[in-house]
Amino acid sequence: MNGMAQYRIAIDVGGTFTDIVVADTTGRMTIGKGLTTRERLFHGMEQGLTVVAQQLGEPDVPTLLSQADLFIYGTTTATNAVVEGKTGKTAFLTTAGFPDILVLREGGKTNAYDFTAPYPEPYVPRRLTFEVRERVNAEGEVVVPLDVEHARSILKRLRAQHIEAIGVCLVWSIVNPTHEATLGRLIEEELPGVAYTLSSQLNPIIREYRRASATVIDASLKPLMQHHLREIAQDVSRAGFRGEILGATSSGGVMPIQELAERPINTIRSGPALAPVAALHYARAEVGSRDVITCDTGGTSFDVSLVRDGLIKATRETWLGGQWVGHMTGLSSVDVRSIGAGGGSIAWIDPGGLLRIGPHSAGAEPGPACYGRGGARPTVTDAALVLGYLNPAYFLGGQMQLDMEAARQAVGTIAEPLEQTTDQAAQAILTIAGEAMVQAIQEISVNEGIDPRETLLVAGGGAAGLNMVSIAQALGCPQVLIPRTAGALSACGAQYSDIVAEFSLSRLAVTDDFAYTEVNAALQSLHAEMDTLESELRGRGLRNFKRDFFVEARYPTQVWELEIPLEKDRFDGPQDVAALVQGFHRVHERVFAVKEEGAEVECLYWKGRLSGLLDRMQPDRPPARDTPRGTMPHAHRSVYFAGQGRTDTPLYLGSALEPGMQLHGPAIIEEPTTTIVLYPHSVAQVAPLNNYLISIP
Amino acid sequence: MAAQTHSREVQQTTLDPTLLAVLANRFEAIVREMTQTLLRAGRSATISIARDFSCSITTSVTGQHELLAAAEGLPAHIYGSHLQAQAMCELHPDLAEGDAFLHNDPYLGNSHPADHTILVPVFCEGQHLFTAVAKAHLSDIGNALPTSYMPAARDVYEEGALLFPCVCVQRAYADVDDIIRLCRRRIRVPEQWYGDYLAMVGAARVGERKIQDLVAKYGSETIKTFVHEWLDYSERRMIHAIRQLPGGDVIGTGRHDPFPGLPDGLPLKVEIAIDTQAGRIAVDLRDNPDNVAGGANSSEACSISSVMQGIFSALDPDVPHNAGSFRRIHVKLREGCVVGIPRFPHSCSLATTNPANRLVVITQSAFAELGDGWGTAEGGVAQNAGYAVISGTDTRRNGAAYVNQLILGGNGGPASPGCDGWVTYGIAVISGLLYRDSVEIDEQKYPLFVKSEKLAQDSGGPGRFRGAPAIEAEYGPKGDPVTLTFPMEGYETPAKGARGGQAGSRAWAIKIDRDGSEIPLPNIFTGDLLPGEFIRYRDCGGGGYGPPTERNPEDVRRDVLERWVSVEQARVAYGVVLTGSIEDETLAVDQEATRELREQLGK
Repeated sequence: MNGMAQYRIAIDVGGTFTDIVVADTTGRMTIGKGLTTRERLFHGMEQGLTVVAQQLGEPDVPTLLSQADLFIYGTTTATNAVVEGKTGKTAFLTTAGFPDILVLREGGKTNAYDFTAPYPEPYVPRRLTFEVRERVNAEGEVVVPLDVEHARSILKRLRAQHIEAIGVCLVWSIVNPTHEATLGRLIEEELPGVAYTLSSQLNPIIREYRRASATVIDASLKPLMQHHLREIAQDVSRAGFRGEILGATSSGGVMPIQELAERPINTIRSGPALAPVAALHYARAEVGSRDVITCDTGGTSFDVSLVRDGLIKATRETWLGGQWVGHMTGLSSVDVRSIGAGGGSIAWIDPGGLLRIGPHSAGAEPGPACYGRGGARPTVTDAALVLGYLNPAYFLGGQMQLDMEAARQAVGTIAEPLEQTTDQAAQAILTIAGEAMVQAIQEISVNEGIDPRETLLVAGGGAAGLNMVSIAQALGCPQVLIPRTAGALSACGAQYSDIVAEFSLSRLAVTDDFAYTEVNAALQSLHAEMDTLESELRGRGLRNFKRDFFVEARYPTQVWELEIPLEKDRFDGPQDVAALVQGFHRVHERVFAVKEEGAEVECLYWKGRLSGLLDRMQPDRPPARDTPRGTMPHAHRSVYFAGQGRTDTPLYLGSALEPGMQLHGPAIIEEPTTTIVLYPHSVAQVAPLNNYLISIP
Repeated sequence: MAAQTHSREVQQTTLDPTLLAVLANRFEAIVREMTQTLLRAGRSATISIARDFSCSITTSVTGQHELLAAAEGLPAHIYGSHLQAQAMCELHPDLAEGDAFLHNDPYLGNSHPADHTILVPVFCEGQHLFTAVAKAHLSDIGNALPTSYMPAARDVYEEGALLFPCVCVQRAYADVDDIIRLCRRRIRVPEQWYGDYLAMVGAARVGERKIQDLVAKYGSETIKTFVHEWLDYSERRMIHAIRQLPGGDVIGTGRHDPFPGLPDGLPLKVEIAIDTQAGRIAVDLRDNPDNVAGGANSSEACSISSVMQGIFSALDPDVPHNAGSFRRIHVKLREGCVVGIPRFPHSCSLATTNPANRLVVITQSAFAELGDGWGTAEGGVAQNAGYAVISGTDTRRNGAAYVNQLILGGNGGPASPGCDGWVTYGIAVISGLLYRDSVEIDEQKYPLFVKSEKLAQDSGGPGRFRGAPAIEAEYGPKGDPVTLTFPMEGYETPAKGARGGQAGSRAWAIKIDRDGSEIPLPNIFTGDLLPGEFIRYRDCGGGGYGPPTERNPEDVRRDVLERWVSVEQARVAYGVVLTGSIEDETLAVDQEATRELREQLGK
């Protein structure tokens, strides 16, 4: 994966746009965007690659590809397939007596008074769920032996029903996986070639719903993703690429795509998972910060994630299609909270006279009123246009002309009942839309015991710059970093990611009577799994590896675990156990504001993370300048700011700004893929690596 | 209840409307942060798995104690929190910053004794403006038996709970150790209680800190204006919602099954008067029986919260649920009434479930009397073996004692005018909010073995929209005997349908002996299960809405394909004739035969 290559290519295929970021040997990033072509994704990539090739002075895409050693690929294909129910026809095999694990989920509902929402369907229909006669208990003892003949009869029926994939999750397979393993063999005998996933192999965690959910999602994706990843590999190599293709994963890392095809669930939400990787990289490089909140504002959603002390926050509770009503992936992955807030969110006035934003969205059709496609209701984009934040002639890099008059009329429909001017109403729309974002940020940081006031905010996405300054103000964040590559933050993250693989196993140990032998054996077996992968990666030319170990633990009788990093990979004596206990108390106090000194700690899962470190193309650091310099704007525009009214505001082109320059708000910076609104009293500095660092008053 | 005494003129806001929305969000966010803290730090499964707790903020800005914000709390927990805040102020004129109070007294505003409440007065610029409230259902509170539900207790003395009539438990941010020692002495599994207590105090203190930050940022005058305006706004939303209803008077009736002290059951009546012109709803509960010599008496807080929950279930779910919207509901209660204000020493041990469940479903289905398109059917009310409080010792953990409530079951939710019932409804007072136990977590934490847990076919009440099915399950002890108590309802009186919809199936429980013989159990069970014995039970199915012969035949076909409904019930109840088979997915509606059968059934 090393060698004399000129380029490294990262691609993030989203719902609307395909983002491309190409790094050259100096670490310079070149961005290209293409429209996503869902019938054959490579066509959209080619579009974007053509743009990049031109910027880099390469004659064509094959020449560009032939000089690259790495091609990192992130895609929403799996996420879309799950949400839209377009995966392979999948059956679910489970322990007799528990056919409704996927129906019942874990309970929970958002509104106790709402009887208008239907109960959500299970991921696998009940008619494709089959009860296998067997049972293991919590101690791993076989209570009911596996009825092999009965199992075979189920599989024969599945063959008749043309099942394409099978997920197997038996109760307590995490302590005794033999029945699942036997079923795996039976599937290979009875249904050769049919994809299957065993829960004890994929995700050996306690709680039958989330383990089963992960298992059926993974199985259902195998036919689709194995075909898809093969197709991409063919398309890319046919176009001239000769290097290694890596795929982005939900843990914010990358993996060889052959490995990913075996665990396609790991590609779910892999794009959003890479945004904090980029954010952390920039935060470290520009200001040495290790605590980072990352926001990525797209057209329809706002994603937030968190980095604490240099570690990206993970969760096992990622839902696809909404908390409690969708499907949980159950795997440890980057914790990305997503809310449906974007430029298309509609503003309305409720019967009590209160201004509300969303949840209805104008989407792309008819879109905001200013698109001139028949939308009449005011949206966040209309408000931004009215206020002068957006340039009507330079939207989407000039691809679209915006209709100011239509936007003013739409916003006017709510200004009147609010007894406000159109400007005031537009400002109110942006503030209240920002409020939902403020809350999303607060919720994720609060859960981790992090104070946003002591944390750097990194903002990405096309709409990142519109209201990030006021969001930071509401949170009390002192600084916001907006990278030049904000418009393609996830693809950029792929450029800074490493190969990351996680392995976990469940072994109960209590710190008062610590099972040294069993725990050390568990950690040893994690090492063994990592050895296998590491030697394979070494065969592909990777040289630098890192191993980290974690335990998920709790106080006795608690039910939710906390993840504690381990200082060592074995326990040699009481001092090592004491270190674990102390670490647990510390984390518990940070997260819950209380701890119980003297209490023992129950350890449940042991987790090992293997990182295969990819060489970076290191950027040249320009010499720092002693005094900040100003610069001249290229134009002025009338812009409305709260508390200040209309102001003739200077506009700056991003391409004219260099490290060391300083701009005072009010001002607007126009970048090809994003617009940054500097509110009055805020100050933007072009940081040493050419990104924007904004200080909030 | 003096729901109408405070009614400012309904007016447009004077606060900047943007700030109004922003501050409302901030208060809700604080409650969510309190909730997160309690959920994750709680010790007992009741809190940390099932989420059987609620946090809220009350305010005294308006000159009396009123509920301001409650996020997604349980109605039974939160609607009485202002009564508790009021008790705190009346009993403790020397209230100071750093105080915290323990309150579980149902004669003084609490829901029932098993709900321990922590109240923290929040001082801003020296004034007591808000109270942060964290309330959790605990599995043990020192009752005479190892359960938080005492159906047979003749009075509060037999019940045996430690009652704390709003007692100071922290002074200057430090525990009052006398109280802690008292609880640790008399509450079973004291470490679990203390862990839950710490989690509640943690949650209330988080609320205190965040409210103080907010007031410091915006100033107390702005915050006070906000409180007035937000409650007024909520009142306007409520008026608007009530005006959408057809006006009139409706009477909902129902019956609680026979119970200790109630050999003939308990007939219940909810009289509702809807004045759409004035935008007001009055509910009269006074024409109901007197207090009974058992644990099924309602507390004042629960009498109010149950009808409130029923009313809000029949209105636009987007209406804020706080003192502002409460101003438009007048609940008339009588002292000494079983669903009114309890007369000491009658026991309110079961106040949050029996008869609260019945009051909720009677109220929400009474609105269906207004016409098609309004109200809902009834949801299930069985608090069966799946909700039992279990206790004992566990040899796998060196004989460690445990006591906890299971959430291994569930009733079907009611059908509504627009959709089928919610499957993970729980019981009426839960209405889907609680989490369910993981079988594996239960088997790991307790010496239990769960044989099965599944949804029962044909148990949901047929209707144009179908009631949700009931859960049927079976479990038993593993190596150690398990003490089990549960007060089951819904074994005689099912969840009724509405507007031609049919009732859901009834609840039952049987014990399976070591020799396999099946012994039907009484609805109130307290006893031991020995290793080798099992208990099998089914909860109630939800009621259907509208005539089942009006259900879309395609939906019936899908129900049969998915095994919610049998081919038999499709024909008998829904009048849908099917051809083909489920196995090869060729199941189809015989349109002609269905039309004929439905015509016959209609006669």
